[in-house]
Amino acid sequence: MKEYSLLKSYQEQHNVWDEMFSSSGIRSSYRNFVSAIEDLSVTEMNHKDELAKKLFMSQGITFTVYSSGEGIEKIFPFDIVPRIIENQEWKVIEAGIKQRLKALNIFLKDIYHLQFIIKDGIIPAQLIYSCPYFLREMINVDVPFDIYTHVAGVDLIRDGDGSFYVLEDNLRTPSGVSYMLENRSITYRIFPDLLPKNKVRSVKDYPDLLYKNLLSIANRQISDPTVVLLTPGIYNSAYFEHTTLARLMGIELVEGRDLVVDNHFVYMKTTKGLKKVDVIYRRVDDEFFDPLVFRPDSALGVPGIYYAYRKGNVAIVNAMGNGVADDKAIYTYVPDMIRYYLNEEPILKNVPTYHLSDVDNQQYVFENMSQMVIKKTNESGGYGMLIGNSASEEEMETFKKAIIADPRSFIAQPIISLSSTPCYINGVLQPRRVDLRPFALCGPDGIDIVPGGLTRVALREGSLVVNSSQGGGSKDTWVLD
Amino acid sequence: MLSRVAETIYWMARYMERTDGMLQVMRTSYISSQDDIKDFSWKQLLNTYGSGLSKDEIIKIEKDTPKVFDYIILDKMNATSAFNNITQARENARAIQDHITKEVWQCLNNYYHFIREPETESQLRNGDPVTAIDLLIQNGLLFTGTIKNTMTRDEGYTFLYLGKFLERAILTVDIIRIKLNEIEPEEFKLSEARELRYLLYSLFGYEIYMKTYKGNFSTSQVLELVLYNNYFPHSVLYSLNQLNKYFERLKPESLPENYEELEFLIGKSLNNVKYSDLEAENLKMVNQFLLQTRKDLIEIGNSFSRYYFGNT
Repeated sequence: MKEYSLLKSYQEQHNVWDEMFSSSGIRSSYRNFVSAIEDLSVTEMNHKDELAKKLFMSQGITFTVYSSGEGIEKIFPFDIVPRIIENQEWKVIEAGIKQRLKALNIFLKDIYHLQFIIKDGIIPAQLIYSCPYFLREMINVDVPFDIYTHVAGVDLIRDGDGSFYVLEDNLRTPSGVSYMLENRSITYRIFPDLLPKNKVRSVKDYPDLLYKNLLSIANRQISDPTVVLLTPGIYNSAYFEHTTLARLMGIELVEGRDLVVDNHFVYMKTTKGLKKVDVIYRRVDDEFFDPLVFRPDSALGVPGIYYAYRKGNVAIVNAMGNGVADDKAIYTYVPDMIRYYLNEEPILKNVPTYHLSDVDNQQYVFENMSQMVIKKTNESGGYGMLIGNSASEEEMETFKKAIIADPRSFIAQPIISLSSTPCYINGVLQPRRVDLRPFALCGPDGIDIVPGGLTRVALREGSLVVNSSQGGGSKDTWVLD
Repeated sequence: MLSRVAETIYWMARYMERTDGMLQVMRTSYISSQDDIKDFSWKQLLNTYGSGLSKDEIIKIEKDTPKVFDYIILDKMNATSAFNNITQARENARAIQDHITKEVWQCLNNYYHFIREPETESQLRNGDPVTAIDLLIQNGLLFTGTIKNTMTRDEGYTFLYLGKFLERAILTVDIIRIKLNEIEPEEFKLSEARELRYLLYSLFGYEIYMKTYKGNFSTSQVLELVLYNNYFPHSVLYSLNQLNKYFERLKPESLPENYEELEFLIGKSLNNVKYSDLEAENLKMVNQFLLQTRKDLIEIGNSFSRYYFGNT
């Protein structure tokens, strides 16, 4: 192996799995890529980095930060070095996610109907009923094809020993898939020929698969169903993704105020009068979805849509009430669900999780707080989180008080170190921590997972938080054939 | 097409047309204020383009040109300032990005960033306001041309032009009213009132007037041009004819009962203007006619909102 100048300052880290380096050198999956870039000068690499930024800006792949009433366009930071996954590894991930989603889907059907899993004592009833995202309104509601989790973005992380752990299942309104598509389209611009040479599997089928699935859950009696994408509007941080997906699928992008419910059917207001809507891919959260049933102050939803859904007059993706399976306390039981419903051993591991309503657990966690991550059970996006080894005494005390006041709302997990990959920062490659969010689509014909996903990267040195709201960026994700 | 999308694109066009019209009036008024022996006041324009200034506030700034420019063109707190019109138009464009071309979006986005530049502001305040306004107007022209050259001739395009020409008709009527009422009664009988010239300048119509009437100035001829000339793109009749032309394109896309409502209103206003018989000397009659026309135009706008945009 040639001594590569860009790699000189790449430091080995203890107890961290590196995606590119093993103790014996560059991993086989990265070898082709490294040999393609190792002769490039710093100027050339910088040029590629600049080009990527320009492409993002000029294509308007931005999100808007609103401060003092004015919008500022920002790009989601992108690192030009791809994250590469071997086919063998991908097969495990794929099988693991399929298994999990299958079990979670049965769980949702069960929990909103006969509740065998509670009756058989697998999950305590108290845990379910105390979850704010368990919707009593969904009890005995039949959803098309019994599918609840049409679109899922499962977050995976890799620990020091190289094995993947599931961190979250994201069964409500996962976002980021447009970045998976855009990152790929930027990569082939900045690294011509590298994708086919490396036999990277394509991700471009995602919009087609999604559209096919949306069509297939419409009422069979309708020959040409109307599918729409419901967005909260231009102020939503994922608005770019909503327009992109609507454009790629060729469907109408609607806001709550475009829809009306009449006699338990949903219609959109067009210049030609009302037009019936059959399938809604909604990116509005449950609690804002129907002001007559959930939050009455919501202006993003559609009054009466819940009843249309209940009657089966409109299909909604994802189903309402999925939040119960996303709850971080109920997450602990997913391996049990897999054993209970499928009679299989889980393929992907869960991160060990301590429920803090248990007194012994609470004591153990308080004693070892510096090695723990403490999370609120209903928050996401990197909010409501405490990372023990980087928190101050004061922050720990605040969390302790909050936990004692309301133990059900918190869980604790040991700090998983997260694998690192090289990132091109300041002219050299430096290791930064990453996670992986593949996107899975469940339809009547089964589960499809596009080979790839969104690799989020914590761009701050040493940071373990990859969320875009907390200074994270993203990378293109290659799955090799 | 979704009603919201149609409404958003229609208002985007109205905001932009309004901005263009307003900037030209400001430019002309500024020039006239420089070339004037009488005491110039911005009162009339502050009343027209200001949103809710009290009488006292108007009296305070009516003679202070830089303050007036600040207020009417740049003020973020003035809901009807050029700045806010452009910001609104851009927000509208953002919400319907998949229905306009990338070029149109980028052009409007550039315009927005241009009016925010500190250089534009300082040129307007301390430099030559005409240069600043000219540059703004050029951005507006670029926007118009980009639409013409890049957009598909679909329903969205039709709504865009409906908004544009309805707004233009209203603007023209307003400017005629303002300028006619600025003429002193004794001047009215003279063959060449300066206000008539500035009325023509405000509507980009001076050159075409000179060519058509060979330098003969009279109120009735000026009115003939700005009201009835069908080759002059800012005349009321031209705007109404265009409105009618684009509206007819909507027929296959409309519910018949909604189409009939608007067809009646547009046809009525068009014919009221086309077959009107005005005596230029009778200012009261002209004023009444202009007010009635304006009322009809507002009614057309309201009916679009009711029958096509689903606002009840």
